[in-house]
Amino acid sequence: MTTSTRPPVAPAAERRTVVGHAIERAARMPRSIPVLVTLALIWAVFYSQSPFYLSFGNLTNLTLQIVTTAILSLGVVFVLLVGEIDLSSAALSGVCAAVAGTVVVTHGLPLAVGIATAVVVGMVVTFVEAQVIIFGVPSLIVTLGGMVILQGLLLVVLPEEFTISIAGTPLASLALTAVPAGASFALAAVGALAFAGYRTLLHRERTSTGSGGSVLRSVAAPSVAAAVGLFAVVFVLSRQRGLPLPVLILAGMLLVAWYWTTQTRYGTHLYAVGGDREAAQRAGIPVRRMVMYSFLVLGACAAVAGMVDSSRQLGVSATSGAGPLMLNAIAAAVVGGTSLFGGRGSVWSALLGSLVIGSISNGVQLLGLSTEVQFFATGVVLVLAVAVDVVLSRGSLLPGRR
Amino acid sequence: MDRDDRPGGEGPLLELTRISKHFGGVRALDGVDLTVSAGEVVALIGDNGAGKSTLVKIMSGVESPDSGEIRVRGRAVRLDSPRAAAEAGIHTVFQDLSLCDNLDAVQNLFLGHERCGPSWTGRRVRRHVMERQAQQILESLSVKLRSLSAPVSELSGGQRQGIAICRALISDPAVVLLDEPTAALGVSQRGEVLDLVDRLREQGRGVVVISHDIKDVQRVADRIVALRLGSKVAEFARDGYAASDLVGAMTGAHERHDDVRSEESR
Ligand SMILES: Nc1ncnc2c1ncn2[C@@H]1O[C@H](COP(=O)(O)OP(=O)(O)OP(=O)(O)O)[C@@H](O)[C@H]1O
Ligand SMILES: [Mg+2]
Repeated sequence: MTTSTRPPVAPAAERRTVVGHAIERAARMPRSIPVLVTLALIWAVFYSQSPFYLSFGNLTNLTLQIVTTAILSLGVVFVLLVGEIDLSSAALSGVCAAVAGTVVVTHGLPLAVGIATAVVVGMVVTFVEAQVIIFGVPSLIVTLGGMVILQGLLLVVLPEEFTISIAGTPLASLALTAVPAGASFALAAVGALAFAGYRTLLHRERTSTGSGGSVLRSVAAPSVAAAVGLFAVVFVLSRQRGLPLPVLILAGMLLVAWYWTTQTRYGTHLYAVGGDREAAQRAGIPVRRMVMYSFLVLGACAAVAGMVDSSRQLGVSATSGAGPLMLNAIAAAVVGGTSLFGGRGSVWSALLGSLVIGSISNGVQLLGLSTEVQFFATGVVLVLAVAVDVVLSRGSLLPGRR
Repeated sequence: MDRDDRPGGEGPLLELTRISKHFGGVRALDGVDLTVSAGEVVALIGDNGAGKSTLVKIMSGVESPDSGEIRVRGRAVRLDSPRAAAEAGIHTVFQDLSLCDNLDAVQNLFLGHERCGPSWTGRRVRRHVMERQAQQILESLSVKLRSLSAPVSELSGGQRQGIAICRALISDPAVVLLDEPTAALGVSQRGEVLDLVDRLREQGRGVVVISHDIKDVQRVADRIVALRLGSKVAEFARDGYAASDLVGAMTGAHERHDDVRSEESR
């Protein structure tokens, strides 16, 4: 385009632009595609070792195993999107579960009160963390300290025997409840119709401004694909006892998060803050408030994750929220394609990343391999994902960019 | 209200008096006055480090002055945040463009001024409306993009500059500040940007343009203000100067000996 006469030193520069173009093309491809390919590979490997791996029973198991990680990871995605990091939410999930357990089991209050209290506690904690971060302390430090404090707080909240048994209480029903197969197919139908309806709305809006494409490509094909996918998932997951409630909770949270981050003004501002804080600030976006919103979402996610997890484990103890949960949640977000540098990624990465990590550990356990294999495999996938992230978000800035 | 609020009214749109700003020991601005009237293009010139960008940042609410007064349409205002400046009707195209690399052209154009649905939809972004407006605005300034939905990190410097400038047309500001709007542009795009400045003036807005390029300044400015080391050293009305006067004022040759001016400016 610029017709300035360039000195003839092209070769090196040209080679670099070839690489640059390749990177740009890769960066433009939806980030979910490499993740789905990875997932397919993992499934293929384990399936070749044990056909039971892809049975209805094990797929349902796998899904239930990843729900906690995925919900927590969803909160982490929000924090990563605004360019912060969090290390405390797993510990927070333990505290929130203990709070819910105390309210519902120890004091015998209704389940709804317990859930509400836990969510409020989660959001208050992350609100405080967010204030310190906004004040200027790096989030890595704030949430590292927060993690240690919350581990102590868990011991304070728990009764003297350091466990709350949940079996037989309303809290246990969170994990035990399942929507019967018939009703779940009805739900899938509603979901598919809603998808088609929203697609139609978008298509109508586009045609009203003269930029609409064909109905087939923008409405019909995606709707059919979504319906097939939805019914397939419901079919697989409802084979045993019906569709488990935790899966529905995760799906609902993902949907709300998707709408909020991609369809609303707040979503755009969230990405803007993660992309370039100064530019966002200059555009009049309340940067601090957006950071705080992200942490509030994280607090709510941590509370829900904690309750779902304790309900599955039938108890809260001093080890709730400990173990690999925090690392898995962060790894899931990053493996799923959310950038550690902020501003890039999507809420789906929480689900996809958790599936990748969960599929590895599920397979390793199924084959009776040693835990080292699981750590090695998860570690390698994580490092690869971060490497891809660095190349895509930093590499695309290299050739001739300002 | 003894002042006329309409653009084109009596008083200046924007009036800065005795603005000073220090960064640590550096005196970036020292008692600078500046006025901008409706339908007027004021060019700010000066050497590197003269304080031009600092003055723009003060007018756009990014930095606050240590002392001095800012009046918008005769009313004293505190521009203590970019939002306050936007509300006062001042829009800025920054030297670094201030685009979000991860967002696409449409999102960047409307950033902070999104066209949204009602609150029950959670302020759903009306993307189709924004896309159409974006197309019109980009077209009117001859900014050519292959895709409106590619992240702006993939665009050329000129395209990015085009988007940054087009942003000035989204919020209907009274005053537009342009910090080196032509720096990254080729010859034809530069002409288009200067045409845009003319158009902003025709629309009755007040415009402040920072530029190093004497030719650009001569082409668009109604009035030229020269800064040097944080102070205003000269002011020229349209046609009331020669190019060498401008260079002299920028380099400081002017203040010392008039006869070495041509050698120093080369
Ligand atoms: N954030 C800051 N911190 C410290 N010093 C600063 C800061 N911003 C500007 N300065 C100083 O203030 C002075 C004026 O800088 P300014 O950016 O306004 O110059 P300018 O006229 O825009 O120059 P240029 O033509 O290079 O863009 C310089 O000496 C600069 O070093
Ligand atoms: Mg400058």
